[in-house]
Amino acid sequence: MTDSFCGYTGDRDQALVAYLYEDGGDAGGRAPFDDHLTTCARCRDEVAALRGVRAQLARWAPPEPAFNLIDGGAQSARGNRSTQWWREIPAWAQVAAALLFLGVSAGIANLDARYDANGLHLRTGWMQPQADAAGGGRPASAAVVAADGAAAPWRADLVALERQLKDEVRTIQTSSRAETAPTAAQVIRASATADADLLRRVRAIVDESEKRQQRELALRVAEVMRDVTTQRRADLVNIDRMLGFVQTKVGVEVMKDRQRLDLLYRASQRQ
Amino acid sequence: MPWTDEELVAKSISGDADSFNELVLRWERPIYALAYRTIGREEDARDVCQETFLRAFRALPGFRGQAKFSSWLYRIALNLCRDWVRRERRTPVVQPPEDMDLIEMAAAAEPSESIEDLVARKDLTRLVERAMALLPEEQRTAIVLKEYHGLTFQEIADLVGCPLSTVKTRLYQGLTVLRRELARNNKAKL
Repeated sequence: MTDSFCGYTGDRDQALVAYLYEDGGDAGGRAPFDDHLTTCARCRDEVAALRGVRAQLARWAPPEPAFNLIDGGAQSARGNRSTQWWREIPAWAQVAAALLFLGVSAGIANLDARYDANGLHLRTGWMQPQADAAGGGRPASAAVVAADGAAAPWRADLVALERQLKDEVRTIQTSSRAETAPTAAQVIRASATADADLLRRVRAIVDESEKRQQRELALRVAEVMRDVTTQRRADLVNIDRMLGFVQTKVGVEVMKDRQRLDLLYRASQRQ
Repeated sequence: MPWTDEELVAKSISGDADSFNELVLRWERPIYALAYRTIGREEDARDVCQETFLRAFRALPGFRGQAKFSSWLYRIALNLCRDWVRRERRTPVVQPPEDMDLIEMAAAAEPSESIEDLVARKDLTRLVERAMALLPEEQRTAIVLKEYHGLTFQEIADLVGCPLSTVKTRLYQGLTVLRRELARNNKAKL
């Protein structure tokens, strides 16, 4: 069909595209090609085929972008939003986060490392296996150093802080029951001061705890090194002893074999 | 009533950052789609999209409204795509999304769409992508701008800087190549 003659006098390709997209300017400009289509099978076929192509193209969708520019590249345009979220977090949430950090880091800091006949063992946290509780298979020095959860140094600080917070809450409740109700401005000011004070204290506890943890960690590492050296020496002595034992045993066996061979030799000569 | 692009541009120029965010939200998908269909790589299309908005933001004070904001944005994106193609010195290759999972897609698809339909649709998409990748850059750009962004011939001509008749010729030639390639691929599939 497309091989048939087309007698369109204008620029056929351009007119066809304009017809296809209905974007050929005014209707008067398109009219000659519209008329031509009624008589030209070749152009009609081509228009139909290109419409088919367009229909197929319409089904091509790009993959969903896995990004959001507002959170990424255009951040400079929106100001320093990344720091604002932190400012918007209330003081109590910051305190909770600090306490969580304190607890987790304290748990991690209770590093229990030992090196014995079974190899090197590392353990964190406060969990102690039954065997260790009974004192079995553990170097005496490490057992002495391992901190007990209940006796952790930061626990006293936390207890003190908790007590102080309870006292403050009680004080606030008492004052709220009093006759003279504070103004909104006073409440906001008092709350802001209390928050700042609370944050300062929590930060001090966290700093102090970090220093303690660093000290403890250094101590533990030194002890692990000492235990490793001691155990290595003990292992070397054992190996030496075992080698000597094996050598002796092998020597005895060789002697016995020789005696057996001599006996056989003599017996064979008698025959 | 939502602000027009031009109003948002004016507000952005006067220092309202949220207005520019609004423009980004409004245009990030079309620009990403344009970049993806032009260069055919998801990752690079994302970079081009981001770079387009960064450049637009930096150049915003110089935008005098001679053209529509969208045309201006398209021009920036197309220039970046052209740079990408020249830099890479290779024909754009359209890749299927890395994490394409038919089952997952089937679950997310319309309930009426069966797995067979879904697979057929993906096959067709792949055929179109392959055929589009064969086109010269200028034909592909013309088809993308016309088919997927609905620009007029005149707008395309202004954007790419060529006569209107050239745009029509590129479209015709591009569509003709696509027709031939799609027909061949369909036959090969059968």
